[in-house]
Amino acid sequence: MRKWTLSLFAVSVALLFAASSPRAAETIKIGVAGPLTGDQAAFGEMLKNGSLLAAEEWNAKGGVVLRGKKVKVELLWGDDRHDPREGVSIAHKFVNSGVVGVVGHFNSSVSIPASTVYSEAGVVQITPASTNPKLTEQGFMTVFRACGRDDQQGEVAAEFIKNKLKAKNVAILHDKTTYGQGLADETRRFLGRLGIKPVFYSGIVQGDKDFTPVLTAAKQKNPEVVFFGGIHPEAILLVKQMRERLGMNAAFISGDGVYVDEFFKIAGKAAEGSYITFTPDQAKIQAAQGVIAKHRERFGKEVGAYTIYSYVAASLILQSIQETNSTAGARLSAHLRSKAWNTALGKIQFNAKGDVLESPYVVWQVKGGRFVQLN
Amino acid sequence: MLTQQLVNGIVVGSVYALIALGYTLVYGILQLINFAHGEIYMMGAYVGIAVLGVLAAMGLTQQSLALSILLVFLVPMVYCAAYGVTLERVAYRPLRQAPRLSPLISAIGMSIFLQNYVQVAQGARDKAFPNLLSLGSFEVMGAHVSGLQVFILAAALAMMAGLQLFIHRTRLGRAMRATAQDRTMAALVGVDVNRVIAVTFAIGSVLAAVAGVMVGMYYGLVNHYIGFVAGIKAFTAAVLGGIGNVTGALVGGFLLALLESFWAGYVSAVYKDVFAFLVLVVVLIFRPEGILGGSTEVDRA
Repeated sequence: MRKWTLSLFAVSVALLFAASSPRAAETIKIGVAGPLTGDQAAFGEMLKNGSLLAAEEWNAKGGVVLRGKKVKVELLWGDDRHDPREGVSIAHKFVNSGVVGVVGHFNSSVSIPASTVYSEAGVVQITPASTNPKLTEQGFMTVFRACGRDDQQGEVAAEFIKNKLKAKNVAILHDKTTYGQGLADETRRFLGRLGIKPVFYSGIVQGDKDFTPVLTAAKQKNPEVVFFGGIHPEAILLVKQMRERLGMNAAFISGDGVYVDEFFKIAGKAAEGSYITFTPDQAKIQAAQGVIAKHRERFGKEVGAYTIYSYVAASLILQSIQETNSTAGARLSAHLRSKAWNTALGKIQFNAKGDVLESPYVVWQVKGGRFVQLN
Repeated sequence: MLTQQLVNGIVVGSVYALIALGYTLVYGILQLINFAHGEIYMMGAYVGIAVLGVLAAMGLTQQSLALSILLVFLVPMVYCAAYGVTLERVAYRPLRQAPRLSPLISAIGMSIFLQNYVQVAQGARDKAFPNLLSLGSFEVMGAHVSGLQVFILAAALAMMAGLQLFIHRTRLGRAMRATAQDRTMAALVGVDVNRVIAVTFAIGSVLAAVAGVMVGMYYGLVNHYIGFVAGIKAFTAAVLGGIGNVTGALVGGFLLALLESFWAGYVSAVYKDVFAFLVLVVVLIFRPEGILGGSTEVDRA
């Protein structure tokens, strides 16, 4: 019996060392989470590639300087498949594996529940893409958003519909997700302020393939504009079925969740002329040129809508670790809020909520099989 | 609006019906729910894309449209038939004498395997189905009908008619009906039961392949999990019509799609699936065997 206890003691001591010894040569772990597979994988890839570029850049310099030593950056991948439940379990996994910061998630419906986990654990989270206002309205110190908000985006869409398209009959569809419905509702709210009451408003089911019944119902109201709050897989089917199945020629307008090449590549002719609200052309930002060129060299293709945002999110976390000489979430979040940052997207400053002070939205249009920014 | 919703529903219904036939045929003969059937349909769509890619590279789509269309359907049909037969041989035949739950678990396992296999082999992203047919469109009684919709309906009806002829007019069809009635007895009078079962799987898979290619053409977009939802819907259609009954699968498929279409158009697009399954539950409460189920033994197969 004594022998047994002794060996147990020996094993536990050994385990203690085993657990602590890699700590000497430890890495800085950053979690990157988004829909890496599935129908929204195009966006997941942007998160992945952007963060990867940032991490490789730091590692090429030998790593982040922490307590006088250079420490390598290690990225942990989390595939949430735009499922909130999956997102929360990834958040727990990240926290348990000791991540210092998280780049993600992509979808607002995933970012919001996951942010509770990160906040409780004191882990800094910068989302490159979740635009639903609620994310930063929860009062969490650890939450940051590198992109804009849907109350800004909805306002731009509403004004465009009223002033540029001069439409009176607007149909609004959304995919019932936090992002999609949130954006649709913001747009509806701002349209209301401009004196336009949508003639049709309905949710659709994400993952569904046939939207002709609901579009047929919308068509009865003779809309001049169909606004869709949602992501590209459904937008592709909606615009195709509007044009090809029902012969509807109402203008199609949607938000940043549709700003991805797949939209016009798969929808083809049907997507021509569609409008998308998104931030101004990133290719024109002087500071972004380096990342754009590196991305082309590393991955052999152009950056996507949220690649540079992900790069910036990862860089900001790593830079604050070096500047504060700490991996404590509280110090990092205070430091991130403390000043204006020079990033690949230009100057960025976070307010008390964790939102960027400035993030303008403009309208883009699909013209000749690519997105063109409208003035 | 009424005619338009009718058109919307009929096209989806013909796809549901084609897949539902595969469920019902297998069930009629083996009393097995082949849960991997939806994946066969999904693979049909993927093979269709591959064939189109090859044809386009060879420039054949420009030269001979008729031949291209034939190949786009024919190759997935053959490919999926091979998969269906292999599936039966590998996953179900060894379990034929096992308790009923074992082949069911095996079927679910095959479904997960095939889905992941396609994801790994073809990538996790949506794939575009190249546009092959641009048939234009026309207006009928206020409804917008595209040539493609007519083509899909015609192709589906042709397949269904072909199946009916096969079951009722050929030797093999008669053997199928005999096996469905009593497998042991059929074997005793000299029917090669294993061959009949293999043929049944092949036929079901051929129908699913046609449905897969049609859906790819129709929506222009394919991914590795379309088989799951379509499989569930078609299974519902088969149960609704009376599983094991060929006419029942057709009735169930069209009925389910029309109900969905009208509900989504007139009441709520969000609760479309809720309504579809509610109808199933209600029908099963009052007619547990489905609308046409258990009517005549002869029609089972």
